[in-house]
Amino acid sequence: MELSLATRVVAAHTVLEVGGEVDVYTAPKLRERIAELLDGNIKAVIVDLGKVDFMDSTGLGVLVGGWRKAKASGASFGVVCDKESLLKIFRITALDQILPLYPSVTAATAS
Amino acid sequence: MVAVTVPADGGWLGILRTATAGLAARLGFPGDKIEDLRIAVDEACAMLLVLTPTDGDLTCRFEIGAETLTAAVSAPLREGANLPDPSSFAWRVIRGLTADASAGQVNGVATIRLTAALHK
Repeated sequence: MELSLATRVVAAHTVLEVGGEVDVYTAPKLRERIAELLDGNIKAVIVDLGKVDFMDSTGLGVLVGGWRKAKASGASFGVVCDKESLLKIFRITALDQILPLYPSVTAATAS
Repeated sequence: MVAVTVPADGGWLGILRTATAGLAARLGFPGDKIEDLRIAVDEACAMLLVLTPTDGDLTCRFEIGAETLTAAVSAPLREGANLPDPSSFAWRVIRGLTADASAGQVNGVATIRLTAALHK
């Protein structure tokens, strides 16, 4: 399964719904989409990994890049993830201490 | 021993991930360990992909032990290419998900060996 990307707006936040597999092959598409949103002057981005079946460190790198870019442009950036297999790689790399992670879109928009 | 060779192109990594998961499942590894090894093999492949010539091949050899499954991912190195820093995200993920991991190069071919243990 390849990568799927869709956006929707929830409570003034732009939610980027990511689905499928985020690996070295598909991650550039995710990087481009996040950059497009932030370049488009969107001030609150939430990346929802709820439909992601697989993600490796390339995906982590893209999320860190997005978070940094958002920070530099004064936008907020959150990641929604409640899947243990994905949360494990956030923990191993200690990125759970850096990236704003939320268990649901509702939790992310409420923060 | 089971070996799978694919072109050194990111589009083929899914095949190696599926082969890894299928083999680990066949050997009775539990779901979380299958997922760990699937990610670790993907990380090793992704690491080698950027170091190998574009017309090269990526080979994954699986060695089946009594209570272990070792995946050795190999690819020829481009001239001047070196394996990534051990502090990279990819290495941290690999070390965190496997019982043992090492890397080396012989005669211009780099190999990353990853071992998953059934009961560890």
